Amino acid sequence: MESLTIVQRQSPWRNIGKQLKQSRFLIAMIIPAVAFYFIFCYIPMYGVLMAFTTYYPKLGIWGSLQYHFVGFQNFSIIFNNDPKFLNVLRNTVLIGFGKIIISFVSAIVMALLINDLRMRHFKKVAQTIVTFPHFLSWVVIAGFINVLFARTGIIDDIIAYCGGTRVDFLTNGNFFLALIFTSDVWKEAGWSSIIYLATMAGISPELYEAADIDGATRLQKTWHITLPGIKPTAVLLLIMSVGGLLSAGFDQIFNLYNPLVYDQVDILDTYIYRQTFKDLVNPGVGTAIGLFKSVVSFLLVVVVDRIAKLCGERGII
Amino acid sequence: MFKHQSKEVGFAGDNDSKSPKLERLPLRPKKQNNNNRIGGLDVVIFIILFLFVLAIIFPFYNAFVISISSEHAYFNSDLLLWPQEVTWEAYRSVFTNSAMWKGFGVTMILLVGGTAYQLFFTVITGYAMSRDKWFGKNFVMNMILVTMFFGGGLVPYYYLITSLGLYNNILVMIIPGAIDTFNMLLMRNYFASLPKELEESARIDGANDIQIFVKVYLPLSLPMLATVGLFFAVGNWNSWYNSMLFITTSDYRPLQMVLRDMISSISSSVESPTAKTYSEGLVMASIFFTIVPMMCFYPFLQKFFVKGIVVGALKG
Repeated sequence: MESLTIVQRQSPWRNIGKQLKQSRFLIAMIIPAVAFYFIFCYIPMYGVLMAFTTYYPKLGIWGSLQYHFVGFQNFSIIFNNDPKFLNVLRNTVLIGFGKIIISFVSAIVMALLINDLRMRHFKKVAQTIVTFPHFLSWVVIAGFINVLFARTGIIDDIIAYCGGTRVDFLTNGNFFLALIFTSDVWKEAGWSSIIYLATMAGISPELYEAADIDGATRLQKTWHITLPGIKPTAVLLLIMSVGGLLSAGFDQIFNLYNPLVYDQVDILDTYIYRQTFKDLVNPGVGTAIGLFKSVVSFLLVVVVDRIAKLCGERGII
Repeated sequence: MFKHQSKEVGFAGDNDSKSPKLERLPLRPKKQNNNNRIGGLDVVIFIILFLFVLAIIFPFYNAFVISISSEHAYFNSDLLLWPQEVTWEAYRSVFTNSAMWKGFGVTMILLVGGTAYQLFFTVITGYAMSRDKWFGKNFVMNMILVTMFFGGGLVPYYYLITSLGLYNNILVMIIPGAIDTFNMLLMRNYFASLPKELEESARIDGANDIQIFVKVYLPLSLPMLATVGLFFAVGNWNSWYNSMLFITTSDYRPLQMVLRDMISSISSSVESPTAKTYSEGLVMASIFFTIVPMMCFYPFLQKFFVKGIVVGALKG
């Protein structure tokens, strides 16, 4: 018994040769992963040093740091001398936050609807149909939206047919913003509901039986049993989604937007892309915006995780 | 041995499945009868879901109608709710369009090569991470988890790819996707849920870790491999981002990129009508060219996808 405790307390570095020999096959299996993460995730993290330079690709990061180190100048440019950036940041927060709330609610509502549906055949068909759009790329969905909501498209045709005036959905910023939220629900609500449905299936049927005996209505059962039952999952998914607040969906917006709506829907990622590759602003600036985004996203996850733990929920970190 | 599988949850909420009903029936017969009747609430739920389903289907229907109507009908009819002046010309031009087939070829390379490559690295990593203590495991795990919450951003990534010589190289659409952290954790959770006794008994028989993995664990995890493989396959079929950033030669453009160019030509006609080089009908026909394979397979493969998200999220 005593010797067992001693073995457990050993430092991980003791008998390192023996340990390495024992786990040599597992280590061989993990080497590609270490190389992969090092190259494709950690080298770009080292690359954020570009944010503190005027970057010249010919000199590389180290050369640029030596000859063109500018300190926090890139950050001061975007925050003080770039009115567009602040607008973009505002858009990003608005779209990102709106999407988190809307997709959170729509997924839960969808799950409740499907869960309470009694017609089993329709349920199967409906589930297959509502989960399918998740597997379409935004390229395809942008194609759909461009013909649906164009001035010559069917939606405007219907409006005109009913005697209304045609609406410029694709070029009016406010309508476009609504389109972004709607298309996000269209694509993801069904798919995101699956996880809640699985959680609901795991709620003990005895709770519902007890509620039946007490004479609870279906809405009461939903409110007092189903919703509390999915709460831990919901909180977990909410924390995870907060990390993506500042991402706000590059794929979607990049495929859908056009210069006429930049004012309302340009977000950090699309702004970085256009600045660096279209307007050919120095890459240092784009890196600075990216670094700002990464740091804030990371802090958001940490803070929200803390709050969730304080409220007695299971966190993720 | 397969007991763990029965615990996995099905697709729909199975609160009203057959077995609990049989148990409950003798207890409170009246209540149960009441519960199975279709009431007002059911009608409301049905109507809401039905409208949502219609909203999902409508864009597909609209695209199909446009693709088989003539361009003349598209511009001149007040309300194109059903096909008018039906013509299959758009589909004929898609099927004879060499750019489309080139894109299809590139996408097939990504689909086969990319999926195999990603599956291999993701699965071996997931297996290694699922085993009990080994030297350096915690370090590697933390190294991986950090990348889920922090990254360098687009610009450093761009210069990294360029300096690796992957610019305008077809491999740029495959190599950077070697391991997907979410799918890796999915595999890890699955391997960890298989009984440890399998490993112990194989070890007594003298097998090493690689033999145990290939001969014992891999054959048991075929359903999960199918799930992860399908996720990768869909990702490769839909991939356009890396090719947009790094591919300039038109020969290396995957299907989605070819499609993207066509779509932006009709969407840019919002500003300048002269920029339009493809008709709406042709673009819609091309969209169907890219999504029909998925529409055909999806109903049969749905259960694999569902299993993936359920196992990954509930156990992770």
